[in-house]
Amino acid sequence: MARKLETALLAPGEPILVVNASESEPASRKDATLCEHRPHLVLDGAAMAAAIIGSTEVVIYLHHGSIDVYGALQRALAERRAAQLAEPVWRIVMGPDRYVAGEASAIANRLEGGEALPSFSPHPMAFKGPSGRPTVVNNCETLAQLALLVRMGVVAWRNGGTPSSPGPQLLTLVGAVAESGIVVEVVGSATIGQVLGHVGVSAPPAAVLVGGYAGTWLTGDVAWCTPLNRGALECVGADPGCGLLGVLPRGACGLSETARLVSYLAGESAGQCGPCAHGLPALAARMEAIARGSLRHRSLVRLRSLGDAVFGSGACAHPDGVVRLIRSALEVFDEELHHHHHRRCSGSSNPPTFPVPLPRRRS
Amino acid sequence: MKSERTVLVRINPIRCRGHAICSLLFSEGIELDQWGYGRVAEETAEGRRSIRRAYRAAAACPNGAVEVVQLGPSGEQQPPGKPPLHVLREQ
Repeated sequence: MARKLETALLAPGEPILVVNASESEPASRKDATLCEHRPHLVLDGAAMAAAIIGSTEVVIYLHHGSIDVYGALQRALAERRAAQLAEPVWRIVMGPDRYVAGEASAIANRLEGGEALPSFSPHPMAFKGPSGRPTVVNNCETLAQLALLVRMGVVAWRNGGTPSSPGPQLLTLVGAVAESGIVVEVVGSATIGQVLGHVGVSAPPAAVLVGGYAGTWLTGDVAWCTPLNRGALECVGADPGCGLLGVLPRGACGLSETARLVSYLAGESAGQCGPCAHGLPALAARMEAIARGSLRHRSLVRLRSLGDAVFGSGACAHPDGVVRLIRSALEVFDEELHHHHHRRCSGSSNPPTFPVPLPRRRS
Repeated sequence: MKSERTVLVRINPIRCRGHAICSLLFSEGIELDQWGYGRVAEETAEGRRSIRRAYRAAAACPNGAVEVVQLGPSGEQQPPGKPPLHVLREQ
């Protein structure tokens, strides 16, 4: 965030500050929980960031469907107006309920009256957004962190986290936990196992999906002892992402889950860039085939080379996330892959673990 | 001057519609993926001949998807503008 603010400060024109409260991950609830229960923390952070970069207008960006978040923010804004604080002008903008509509350049396009689709620009948006003005898009949790930092003081705030992920973290836990979709706050350093221990998972699960639906699979044993901070997660090839931990129970099939997630994500592609529009459906079809058990060695080779062709080819990181998910799945569910080769699936009789929205109608 | 001898080539993947003209004109820098969309193989082009071909590819793209940006003396990107005349004039 500091880099974005600094860029906006140096760039010509009055910057726009955007609070990204559009939580596009279907299973993630951390932004909604934060905005519903601590709206003033987010708004305080936004007001501070706006003051730092000298912008007089703050845009809060939401999905159409987040009615509760909208209500909570409206109430909070009314309270702030009543308190007559010297503050920037607040504006709430709603975007469509689709996955890529929460991407920073998509939000900037929406603010300009365009469609909420990602765009390609050689400049960082904090230097020059689609409107020509510097556009700083920050997630609402990031802004809440800024407010927390100011309230708690730097030392206390830092001690709430670890050097590579300072400050307390919010996580959404889904799948085989006591209450799927629960949001927890982690203060200080903890391993994934310690966090899961608090929500009724007593032993390492089959696998853990880290960082969202376009995240990275880790085997249960590896995840169990991995500390929850950026540095440690990077060491095992994962990224905190949107703060989602998906717990896959023993006796569930990770390949079938991955296939469902990939089909969902493929359907959410904006279809703007060729490799993403052609590649993701092809990847999804091959993942489906693997999950069904009609697996041949050649289709696996083809799946990998397709992934390589798609990776890094889009204007946004959407295709990269899908490829990362598939690559980690092939690595983590190696044994399951072998079972599928012999037409056995360890999770065929179980219902799916992770909730996926119904496929959208193509307009 | 070194600054005129290095350019940055990039493809806007949203604009690219797979006409593939760029890869014909600038084959050393742009390759095609399996669907026929252009992909930058070599991010920078050096040498007059190569730079000229990069600019030609950019000019030939029907969708304006290929961008060529001059790099400054210390590697920073110069604002986009017309290609330097001497690059285009030499055959």
